[in-house]
Amino acid sequence: MARESFDKEIQFLRMLVLTSGAYNRQQYADKLGISVHTFDKTIKRLKEIVNAVYQKAPAASGKELAETIRYSYLDSSDPMLLFLFRAKSLKESESQRLSLLLAALHDEAMTVSELLDLCCSSMPAELSLPDEKTIRGDLKYLEQVGVIKRATGARPYRYRINNDLVRELSHDELQDLYDFVDIMANTQLPSVQGYLLRDGLKKHIGREKEDLGRTDSFLYKYHYYSRLLDEAHLFTLLSAIRSRSWVSFLYFSPKKETSYASKNTNPLFEKDTDGLQETMLPLKVIYDHQYGRWYLLGHHPRSGIKKYRLEGLTQIAEGTTAEETLFEAKSTELEQRIKHSWLIDTGRTVAVKIRFFHPGRGIPSFVKERVLLQGQWGTITEESEESFIYDIEVNGTIEIKPWVRSFGSSCEVLAPLKLREEMIAEWKEIRNYYESV
Amino acid sequence: MNPFEKIFNYQILSRLENSGTMIITQHERGWLKLMLGHPAAASAFEPDTLHKLRAILTQDPSLDTDGLLHKAASKERHVYHPYVRLIRQAIMKNAVLQISYLNKSGEASPSQACFPYKLEYSMVKREWYLLYYQISNRRLMRSKLEKLLGLVELKCTEALSEQYKASIHTLLSRRSVSADILIEPEYNGELSRILYAFSCFEKEVSYAAEANTYTIRLFFDSSDSEFVLSKTRFLGKRVRIVEGEHLKRRMLESATKALGRYAETSG
Repeated sequence: MARESFDKEIQFLRMLVLTSGAYNRQQYADKLGISVHTFDKTIKRLKEIVNAVYQKAPAASGKELAETIRYSYLDSSDPMLLFLFRAKSLKESESQRLSLLLAALHDEAMTVSELLDLCCSSMPAELSLPDEKTIRGDLKYLEQVGVIKRATGARPYRYRINNDLVRELSHDELQDLYDFVDIMANTQLPSVQGYLLRDGLKKHIGREKEDLGRTDSFLYKYHYYSRLLDEAHLFTLLSAIRSRSWVSFLYFSPKKETSYASKNTNPLFEKDTDGLQETMLPLKVIYDHQYGRWYLLGHHPRSGIKKYRLEGLTQIAEGTTAEETLFEAKSTELEQRIKHSWLIDTGRTVAVKIRFFHPGRGIPSFVKERVLLQGQWGTITEESEESFIYDIEVNGTIEIKPWVRSFGSSCEVLAPLKLREEMIAEWKEIRNYYESV
Repeated sequence: MNPFEKIFNYQILSRLENSGTMIITQHERGWLKLMLGHPAAASAFEPDTLHKLRAILTQDPSLDTDGLLHKAASKERHVYHPYVRLIRQAIMKNAVLQISYLNKSGEASPSQACFPYKLEYSMVKREWYLLYYQISNRRLMRSKLEKLLGLVELKCTEALSEQYKASIHTLLSRRSVSADILIEPEYNGELSRILYAFSCFEKEVSYAAEANTYTIRLFFDSSDSEFVLSKTRFLGKRVRIVEGEHLKRRMLESATKALGRYAETSG
């Protein structure tokens, strides 16, 4: 399947997850920059996959699909969005063949000709039979993704399943492994591969011992559920950074109304897209824990350091390799420029001074606890019984402002004066919102 | 490593499930190897198991995350706690725990029987909590694992554990509340950012096309109200709580008190 298709599905799912069924079909289609017909087709395909993966009853509409994949803290610990990574389409005969090969190799090591015989005798009658070349190709692929390996011994080579990870562990050890994978996938980045492994282990444990199937003892609050969707681009970008490759993509700023545009194959229907075709040298991918959003930062030949939101990237393609010296120079420059970024701001550095107030005598200071936990490289001075001072050198005040504001009346901005005045003005507006309460 | 591999295809997945075949890709092993490098791994496994896992993964390349940076994350206090394994086992066995903990004034609580139902990890505080039903006073409680002084596992009959679970269910549903938050239309351009900020909650969004307004209904446990308020203050004047009396009053109180602070020092 072409990459194009996943871009569409990712944009589609993101919109469903974020707006959880707020729009009707036409509105969704408009926002996505696709036709209602394409919207219906995409939703049909996604539903098929969700239903197959989770054995759910078919959902009828976008809203119902949004409901199905909605994360519930109490009822489910499965990351429903994972199904996106199950969406790579495959010919019926290929999926039959690969499954047959894996099931056979699960029990014993086998040679190519033994596997060919097995496939020929077990494939459903309506599907075409494979030849030796096809089987060799399949085995090469399976070996490459690491699910099988060549067994030791002389020719003809035998292949076996590569799942020592579960074979060599006892039940208790498997349960510990499951817990570890569950916890790390839910609390660390990246997580997609962890969730895939968690899925496999869960099923395996359930098969081995039914009473061990209960695996929902953990709860994670509050994590950004949709971060999984952006991880879809993460590995392409990390690999481009590793190989110092230029990348090009069609960028849709999240501030625009449309977040995707179909690539029309019929030139008669070709229309101008709102997207921006960009080429840049990727240097860093940044995850912002405050919003649960991802950014790509890199060097742009004309504009210097440029920043993009991962959610706006479509049709990513790797290009030529950059000179190591260019990559090094630009990386060092970027590291310098974001050293004092609360998130990604590369503007002028300002000294921010805030007085935080303890909640009161005899109450443990959750305010200080939070400042210590989230205040990044800022420092605490002038502590008294009532308050303490927090100082930080930060690039611009825009990114730190929401964090400061979230403390409500437990803090007072002392400097810079501009930020102090902005805070006063904002609190006045907010007070007006609720004055009639 | 592109996670869109045909080996992860859903049809293959369901066929392998039917035949009871367990496969693990290089992607997954590479991820696991990366995670085993985290200090948490030492408390997650018995030393022997950890040794065995590392030996099995010797040949696999670790997932490379060199280009990835984190910003504005809370400091990680712990990812694992020595009690996590013990309590998880107790939860799976439907056991009762006799626990004592350090209370808010720093004193040890008397030992008490509780029925644990979940271990909760807070992504904000970056630490573990035990969620349990306190048997003596029939209340739902939440304690930091860090504050637990000791625990003893006790057997519990099936009848009793079922009864506790039913009580937990009832109490939880009673604590579930909702609030409606309106996005001020002039900030519709920031819709994506605002929705991302609220995407950690269970929510429903409605859109009124004529007025071009979005309303987000959040569902949460009443004990998480403070977190909802903190998120709302975080977004400032972009959003306004329109349903939820207690939250609205608290927002007014915050704004008034905050302005009071500035008035004191400026005036």
